Amino acid sequence: MIRGTVIGQVWATRKARGLDGQTLLLVAARDAEGRATGRLVVASDTLDARAGDDVTVAFGSGARIVLRPGAADNRDVLCDAAIAAIVEGAG
Amino acid sequence: MILGRVIGHVWAARRDARLQRAKLLVVRPHAIYEPAFGTRHLVATDDLDAGVGDDVIVCLGAPARESLGSNDMPVDAAVLGVVDRIEWRADAMQAPGAGPGIQRALGAIGDTK
Repeated sequence: MIRGTVIGQVWATRKARGLDGQTLLLVAARDAEGRATGRLVVASDTLDARAGDDVTVAFGSGARIVLRPGAADNRDVLCDAAIAAIVEGAG
Repeated sequence: MILGRVIGHVWAARRDARLQRAKLLVVRPHAIYEPAFGTRHLVATDDLDAGVGDDVIVCLGAPARESLGSNDMPVDAAVLGVVDRIEWRADAMQAPGAGPGIQRALGAIGDTK
């Protein structure tokens, strides 16, 4: 997973059927020290994250599990990045 | 997923049999999508009739294959959405993690909206 900051939202009317109903947020990725990486990720959101929130983003099969628990039968989930947690504090 | 802009098409007469009907686009990501890849563009399949100049959402990895109906496809990037609208915080430039690359990206998207 990576940490990042939610900076906005993306809307698409023409999209794959599997993307229906997904909220897509723009996340600026940060490195372990909180520095900019220049990486911009579009992540599905089920946690109602808002712009400015500090979040962790799960990729790959981890992202699919966020959207539908059960790794055995969620191969059809069309998502490669999902917000896994909204960070309140980190030591 | 990543955000990118369609900048061209790819034609290939000789291609994997499973790709015979796939439309292939050249997409330039609006920001780096993976630090390990130095390339500034990628080739993605497209079922949504995206055209040159469209901003698109590109999914990487296994879901890209699944979007074509099977995991048994020689594909690792697929256009899953054609962007209508992007909203970002006015102070996004100052947000932690919003470095020069992000500023460039947001500026590029802003060019056409």
